Amino acid sequence: MTVAIWDSNQEPGLKEIMDDFTKETGIGVDIQVTPWGEYWTMLEAATQGGEMPDVFWMHSDQIATYAAYDDILLDLTDKIERSDKIDLANYPENLVNIYQNEKGAQLGIPKDIDTCAVWYNKKMFDEAGIPYPTADWTWEDFREIAKKLTNKEKGQYGVTIKPGSYQESWYSTIYAYGGEVISEDKKTSGFDNPKTIEAMQLIEGIIKDGSMPEYSVVAENGTDALMEAGTVAMSFQGSWMIPELVKNDFVKENCDIAPLPKGPNGTKSISNGLGWTASAKGAHTEEAWKLIEYLGSKEAQTKQAELGVTMAAYKGVSDNWKNAQPNFNMQAYLDMLEDAQAYPSSKNTQVWYQVLMERMVDGFSGAKPMDKVCKDFAVEMNQFLAEEQ
Amino acid sequence: MKRNDKILKAVKHIVLILGAIMMLVPFVWMILTAFKTNSEAMQINPFVIFPSEWRTDAFVKAMEKMDFIKLYINTLTLIVLRIFCAVFTSTMAGYAFGRLHFKGRNFCFALVLFQMMVPGQIFIIPQYLMVSKIGLLNTMFSLLFPGIVTAFGTFLMRQAYMGLPKDLEETARLDGCNIGQTFLYVMMPLTKSSMVALGIFTALFAYKELMWPLIANTEQSTMPLAAALAKLQGQFGSNFPELMAASMIACIPMIILYLVFQKQFIEGIATSGGKL
Amino acid sequence: MSKVNNKEKKLTNRRRAEFVWGWLFILPTLVGLIILNIIPIFQTVWQSFYKTGAFGRGYIFVGLDNYERLFSDGAVWQALINTLKYAIVEVPISIAIALIIAVMLNAKMQGRSAYRAIYFLPMVVAPAATSMVWKWLFNTEFGLFNHVFKSIGLKPVAWLSNPGIAIYSLAAVGIWSVIGYNMVLFLAGLQEIPKDYYEAAQIDGANVFQQFFKITVPLISPTMFFVLVTRVIGSMQIFDSIYMMIGTGSPALKKTQSLVYLFYRYAFVENNKGYGSAIVVLLLVVIMIITIFQMIAQKKWVHYN
Repeated sequence: MTVAIWDSNQEPGLKEIMDDFTKETGIGVDIQVTPWGEYWTMLEAATQGGEMPDVFWMHSDQIATYAAYDDILLDLTDKIERSDKIDLANYPENLVNIYQNEKGAQLGIPKDIDTCAVWYNKKMFDEAGIPYPTADWTWEDFREIAKKLTNKEKGQYGVTIKPGSYQESWYSTIYAYGGEVISEDKKTSGFDNPKTIEAMQLIEGIIKDGSMPEYSVVAENGTDALMEAGTVAMSFQGSWMIPELVKNDFVKENCDIAPLPKGPNGTKSISNGLGWTASAKGAHTEEAWKLIEYLGSKEAQTKQAELGVTMAAYKGVSDNWKNAQPNFNMQAYLDMLEDAQAYPSSKNTQVWYQVLMERMVDGFSGAKPMDKVCKDFAVEMNQFLAEEQ
Repeated sequence: MKRNDKILKAVKHIVLILGAIMMLVPFVWMILTAFKTNSEAMQINPFVIFPSEWRTDAFVKAMEKMDFIKLYINTLTLIVLRIFCAVFTSTMAGYAFGRLHFKGRNFCFALVLFQMMVPGQIFIIPQYLMVSKIGLLNTMFSLLFPGIVTAFGTFLMRQAYMGLPKDLEETARLDGCNIGQTFLYVMMPLTKSSMVALGIFTALFAYKELMWPLIANTEQSTMPLAAALAKLQGQFGSNFPELMAASMIACIPMIILYLVFQKQFIEGIATSGGKL
Repeated sequence: MSKVNNKEKKLTNRRRAEFVWGWLFILPTLVGLIILNIIPIFQTVWQSFYKTGAFGRGYIFVGLDNYERLFSDGAVWQALINTLKYAIVEVPISIAIALIIAVMLNAKMQGRSAYRAIYFLPMVVAPAATSMVWKWLFNTEFGLFNHVFKSIGLKPVAWLSNPGIAIYSLAAVGIWSVIGYNMVLFLAGLQEIPKDYYEAAQIDGANVFQQFFKITVPLISPTMFFVLVTRVIGSMQIFDSIYMMIGTGSPALKKTQSLVYLFYRYAFVENNKGYGSAIVVLLLVVIMIITIFQMIAQKKWVHYN
């Protein structure tokens, strides 16, 4: 049986869990990793060619495209009802709802949940005489601290935020300021909301303060690599990055984790969760369901957390997750679950998302004032959303 | 006069050496970076040129992330299959287009020329749909597919046959050979150098091709090297030592092959390329 | 009488044999060509009149909608400009440099084969691999080039992120990778020029530069024409280096993406194969126009003996 995923950081942990499954059932499993950028091209091609992997990760951006047809994703509704291992009440409701089609059929089981937090370089804080951030720091504090931590002569900067790190950084800012990316009914853009613009202007302010390296540096290098190189003091990272970060010697020696800063509307981490879905037409649908059932079970979810792969979607088992990395303040990520904001998406997220990334380059590089970028994009996005209906 | 010649010669060498250094800088920098740690690579104060210690960590990590042995096998299989198909179909067609006279020849040859004139991307969507319809994406077949026949190779071989002297066939015919025998025993052996050139062109093209495997072979286990590098960059975009190590692993066998068969490489391209 | 008849019979026999063998020999190529290339051309054109849904389902005939969108799509025209800019820089410079090197190497000299081997080297490595190396060399903050710039007191340059510069950086990489190929073709062409032309010119007192422009350039012009046509077509299809070196977050993407890159993005990332087809049809038309123009223009400057 083939299983497709996009994050190679999770491969070793998942492999261990799959091995348990193979031991229990005798069903062999082969994990295929395709990076995010090409994963959807791959899955689309596989769907069209009738060669889908048996079990694969699904994302909230993409589920609507696949759920629009009845013969692509395996309908799990009846199977869940009959199962003694899966009870949908054990997972956060917003995650469960993501993986339903319009008729209410359940097409996927939540795999995990992710949140975002700030990684910071302790040494740089010490040198600048700034206390380590705590849960009550605000975005304004963040801006000040980033400024203080910047020392251009030394080639040291406060932070890097880029358009592509939307989920872990500036989407959170938008919601913390009471703005929104997309309206609740998914019909209108939130980018012309004054609060959204206020949040984006705060980001613009951090850039204008000079607390970030030149945009070319931000664009050409990963936010994680810049932190690992000791170029930036703070870096927004999703919980999915933890396995990679904790392996790095520089990070081990110098860095720790803090919660996201607060805004007028509280601390809002974007929280998303992947789902396990299966091919409806595969040759192994029975085995596929068995695997998904196993992966969603308390046992496998607990192990996923214990191995430090990701936080579990299964409620209440994630405490084990933080113990996997005792040297870091993993609690910060768990705290973010409390008032988390569901990942904003619509039926055809990919279409407006691609354009948003392009337009935001203008805002982040300073080519265009941020409020203009937001307002102009809102018009475009509303058009895309109207086409979706 | 003599002194002028000497100065000219010296200038020539200086220019050529400077040029050669420019050509080699990327290779040297690739090697130096591959042996560094990420922090060394990203250190600017002071800038690090030579790794403090020649570490192989980046290679180990790159190999963990990508199964290079498998990638090599895929690439090599692809090259062998493509060469076989190209040489097999092109020699026959090249002979027919270059030496035989028959109705419909010119029209068919016009199709060959036409294919060479249009940009290759125009074929990709339909080719992709065909392979996906028969359910063979992510197989060796899908990798091979666009290269089963080659208009370029047909043209190349036609030129080779056209360049052969006329009386050879006449002699063979008087000896009682039919056209098939004449082709096989008399003419084909004389185009060996063009066949080698075609083989080299085909191998290089298969090894360098990126867009098609990116689309048709998205599973790591069936990818060729070039697409796998793109994938590696997508996944671990910012760790430069690892990326350089992967580049090195992907380049070095081809470079060694090239250095060993340099004469064939360059002369193959010179003689056949000029004939086009 | 009978003799003539016999001869005629032999000739028709021969003709029949050539017909049968000829078709037999071209059959594999012809069938492959029709399936792999000829039919797909029509399919692509056909598809450009359709709106396509995800997973190849839901084809809807939309007439000229894709072309209407194409003509009003600023990104497409910008991509066309980018592509042309790239070709205009890469092709002439790589031809000029390659020709100069070839002329220098076209003599008995020390290290000739070593030079030749080095200049040709980029030709045998995958662009996917070398693009990563160039991306690293060009890195604004940590790259080797800017380090050299800084150490001689120049300001660092955002080679790949400055929208005004990136396309030329890509062209530089393109030049680097094709010089060797062009050079080898020129070397082959130069060898066909009879030595006594130069000897005669020397006796007449022509210096090196006069010899170059009066003898070498005209006599090598057929090779130059060949290189020009193939390189223009090749550079119009630039994709690999943009894909590998310019990320989606790059501020230079808009000013560097080529038509082929847009084609890839629409057809295979956003799954709008209809619009992707329309883009590639535009590329076909542009390349055809340029090639025809070159065919006409060659009469003015290419010397065939």
